[in-house]
Amino acid sequence: MKKFYFFNLFFLLFVCRSFAQGQQDYSTNAILAQRVKALSEKYPQWVKSKSLTQTAGGKEIWMLTIGSGKTETKPAIAVVGGVEGKHLLGVEMAIGFAEKLMSGIATDSIKTLLTQQTYYVFPNMSPDATEQYFAKVKNERSGNAIKTDDDRDGSLDEDDADDLDGNGKITWMRILDPTGKYKLNPDDPRSLLTADAAKAESGTYRLLPEGIDNDKDGTFNEDGAGGVHFNKNSSYNFKAFIPGAGEYAVSEKENRALFDFLFDAFNVYAVVTFGPVNNLSAPVQFNPSGIAKRIITSWYDADAKTNALVSERYNKITKTKDAPKTQAENGDFSQWAYFHYGRLSFSTPGWWVPKTMPDSARKQKKFTNEDPIPNYLRWAEGQGITNTFTPWKAVAHPDFPGQTVEVGGIDPFVLINPPYKMVDAIVAKHTDFLVALADMAPKLDFINLQTEKVSDGLTRVTVKILNGGDLSTYTNVGDRSYFLKKITLKVNTNASQTVVSGRKTQTIESIQGKDFKEFTWLIKGSGKVTLEAGSPTTGSKSISVTL
Amino acid sequence: MTMRIKNTILLAAAILCAGVLKAQKPENILAAVGTPPNPKVQVSWNRYNDYAAITDICKKIAAAHPDLVKIESMGKSFQGKDLWVMTITDTKVGLADKKPAMYIDGNIHSNEIQGSEFALYTAWYLAEMYASGNKAIQSLLGEKTFYIAPTINPDARDNFIHAANTAHSPRTGLIPIDNDRDGSTNEDGFDDLDGDGHIVMMRRKNVNGRYKADPADPRRMIMISNEEKGEYELLGSEGIDNDGDGFVNEDGEGAYDPNRDWGWNWQPNYIQNGAYKYPFSLPENRAIVDFVMKHPNIAAAQSYHNNGGMILRGPGALEDVDTYNALDVRVYDALGKKGEEMLPGYKYLVVYKDLYSVFGGELDWFYGGRGIYTFSNELWTGYSMYNKTDGEDSQNQLYTFDKDLLMKDAFIDWHPYKHPMYGDIEIGGFKKTYTRLHPGFLLESDAHRNMAFSIYHAYNTPKLNVTEIEVKDIGGGLSQVTAIVTNDRMIPTHSSQDVKNNIETPDLISLTGGTVVAGMIVTNRDMNFTTEQKLDPARIRINNIPGNGYVTVRWLVKGGTKFTVNVSSKKGGTATKTN
Repeated sequence: MKKFYFFNLFFLLFVCRSFAQGQQDYSTNAILAQRVKALSEKYPQWVKSKSLTQTAGGKEIWMLTIGSGKTETKPAIAVVGGVEGKHLLGVEMAIGFAEKLMSGIATDSIKTLLTQQTYYVFPNMSPDATEQYFAKVKNERSGNAIKTDDDRDGSLDEDDADDLDGNGKITWMRILDPTGKYKLNPDDPRSLLTADAAKAESGTYRLLPEGIDNDKDGTFNEDGAGGVHFNKNSSYNFKAFIPGAGEYAVSEKENRALFDFLFDAFNVYAVVTFGPVNNLSAPVQFNPSGIAKRIITSWYDADAKTNALVSERYNKITKTKDAPKTQAENGDFSQWAYFHYGRLSFSTPGWWVPKTMPDSARKQKKFTNEDPIPNYLRWAEGQGITNTFTPWKAVAHPDFPGQTVEVGGIDPFVLINPPYKMVDAIVAKHTDFLVALADMAPKLDFINLQTEKVSDGLTRVTVKILNGGDLSTYTNVGDRSYFLKKITLKVNTNASQTVVSGRKTQTIESIQGKDFKEFTWLIKGSGKVTLEAGSPTTGSKSISVTL
Repeated sequence: MTMRIKNTILLAAAILCAGVLKAQKPENILAAVGTPPNPKVQVSWNRYNDYAAITDICKKIAAAHPDLVKIESMGKSFQGKDLWVMTITDTKVGLADKKPAMYIDGNIHSNEIQGSEFALYTAWYLAEMYASGNKAIQSLLGEKTFYIAPTINPDARDNFIHAANTAHSPRTGLIPIDNDRDGSTNEDGFDDLDGDGHIVMMRRKNVNGRYKADPADPRRMIMISNEEKGEYELLGSEGIDNDGDGFVNEDGEGAYDPNRDWGWNWQPNYIQNGAYKYPFSLPENRAIVDFVMKHPNIAAAQSYHNNGGMILRGPGALEDVDTYNALDVRVYDALGKKGEEMLPGYKYLVVYKDLYSVFGGELDWFYGGRGIYTFSNELWTGYSMYNKTDGEDSQNQLYTFDKDLLMKDAFIDWHPYKHPMYGDIEIGGFKKTYTRLHPGFLLESDAHRNMAFSIYHAYNTPKLNVTEIEVKDIGGGLSQVTAIVTNDRMIPTHSSQDVKNNIETPDLISLTGGTVVAGMIVTNRDMNFTTEQKLDPARIRINNIPGNGYVTVRWLVKGGTKFTVNVSSKKGGTATKTN
């Protein structure tokens, strides 16, 4: 009986697994759940999975713990995907990392890594929003399923977008109107730019997201389905009273569940976010005035230097280039991970539309305006990607009787999510990066142990504690936060030994990468004592000393 | 020691029962003015109550006044205690959640316990005065609702009361925190060395110490002058180095601050001590925020702290100065100044400039996040000792007051103790119930004054009236109906913080009778300046009805002669009039 059961289970696993590998598109939540389950079932000694909570939309927030033994006692990296609900790639990178890592478990290096360290993987923090990619009408959305009053008029979700042309995508509508602020982009008239009155340019179009003014309040699609954005709801630089923010910071179940877990995970030394902010292609810059105020807005110098080191490693491994500059929005998660969680926080979108060059064979000209859409269209054409732009087509619009209204424009999702066939290579590079990052982790060692006999039965013990890793034992920003632990250094003595000078137990402030601290004691007695140093972000080390 | 506490509770319970059983007969009593003469629920207002006693009083008040008082739980504390809130209003005159309401809580800081007694007194007073036939309170409870939560930190309140503590411990809730960041939580708190139930001071005879006994009152330690030799050194509060790390009492109960946990300009603990994980990461505060969000009729709020005799308003943080704009500050000032008159020795102050600049406080969320006019009162002031402002030496006053008026009940006399680390020391000092808490005989009096201040605050929440309906035939079968809606109290239906951020939905003034073809807000009736509302003209949306002010609205109506104007406001309640 039992045997059959296991056989069936194995068979099922096999089916799921091959399904995931043969995947043709981004993952629905159902497929993500299968992939999570398949991993924990295939590698039960290495991978544990659980659901942290359910969103308002009834979707699970998955978490994978990858490591061995007492994973909570080993230095850890948290990997977070789906912080931005439009960014399906982020989900794929997080779960894909877990799969790629585990597919290498037979190699000694990965085995050793997972004996010494832990990864916590949260593949999708916005499952209500990412599911919209698979909806009958595709509409980019960042909010969860909580009903909100985005325009604060007392009604909830009463003015959503509408698929006017019935193509299953929410794109754009342009209304021919001399009071409009937009004009056609001369580089590519499929795209529109704002007309600059200061340059005597006239607007010819109004540009709005596709839809009707369902609540007849004069604004379009201003209070649609979709509530609080995971990535607008963190406590750092939170801005209240804007759509998607939530009534207060960290109001949502998924945000709270993740933060609750992370705050109790004292072993996390770095958070890697696959999301909109990019401080891996180019590191943050230290800004002295940003740390001069009570509420700091700059990374500390030492932490920014670490960011530079990690960024260098990232660029080398992923060979990515030309990353657009990013600006974190209010309530951004990756900013929170540094400024409020106090951990090293690295973030990358993983992919961006490459910069295109004009192809003279196709008689293309260099673009004269900053506009991502013509660049995308040119790149897509070169790649043979079709059906990501909806040609402008006139529709009859009830809110604009007698006016020319056309629906069309760039399709949802395509600017930040590459065609699925490119995902595997992106995942592979970022897996390599995450493994390399673990290799930079803080590592404690006792170095240059010296014992001097001061007198009969009295020994002076001197030792250096070296952080052989590249990253500090904890960050400069975390220096005063009780959610980061100090290194505890203890002299373990027996009943006949006494520490005459020096502290028997003490805590040590952060040690930078490749830096050390020296300690000395006078110990009375004979035989052996042990020195023991450890913290959750460094693991523990001990050394035996003969008096 | 346990026995002693048990006995005390038994005794207290016995006294309470006796009080209930032997309710004074009305014929034997001459009512003192302003106090319920023969209350249904007998409570002694000259002592402090633990969570069980508070629960009991709340339930008794609710049971004795079923038409006025309802008790419910807002949620559970960390240790699973119910967070009681009493809803107090005249339920025979309108629904509780349709009337402008005042929210009152106490004891957010667990050692600041008298806020609970003040809140309880308020609930008791409202119910009993109503029952005794007092017209002012009857009318107040007809118009307003009170939500009163006596303790919002019951776990640590009980710790303060039942465990050995100082006047300052614990300030926190009881979620364990690793204060010294060594990986262990709460491993080195105070130790009641002599087992007397009090954490007081340790001193050691030492000629190199900097202290001596005060010749005026040898219980008191004073600093020596430069020419003098010392007698004693002070060694801090009673305790030992439990974890052997070279520090004494460095990691006791909790040690976050529940009043740094609120979701307005929240900042983490490295910026200011006391914050926990994120806004409302403490279960007690989360229960309150959920309750407040479900009760949009709350237009005023009061939280009780101790001590120093202050009526505090925000901003809590210098960084929030711009949040509090002039219009709202005018309302705060009017209420606060009145408070100064009613509470002798109390000063109306602004947290960030008169106290300290802090983020994430309760009053900031209530005002910043919800637009609710909110005060925190720091209860108990040294002024009350001799009804005069603290002299040069307010420390000395603590000793004379204890000697002259408290019969030396507030002080544990210095007595010798053999300390495992410090050797021969002496232990002594003020009990936890002195310096920050009211002495028994002043408790009821100050509770009454603070209650009266809250009543004044609640009274001034909006009161809406439709005062005029003018109907004019303008020809073409159309009538022009103009209505004036007044707010007869000081507080607007929307604070300007609320208006600025569209926190609460607009007030609705609607017309029935006839067919409305157009609706407008009249900005100047004499000049006939109007702003038309194209969408849904029968229900005019008004952003605010100002305090002691009015708005004028107008409709053009086809047909009908009998018109009813209905006003509905989340914080302002309802009003109606028919011509």
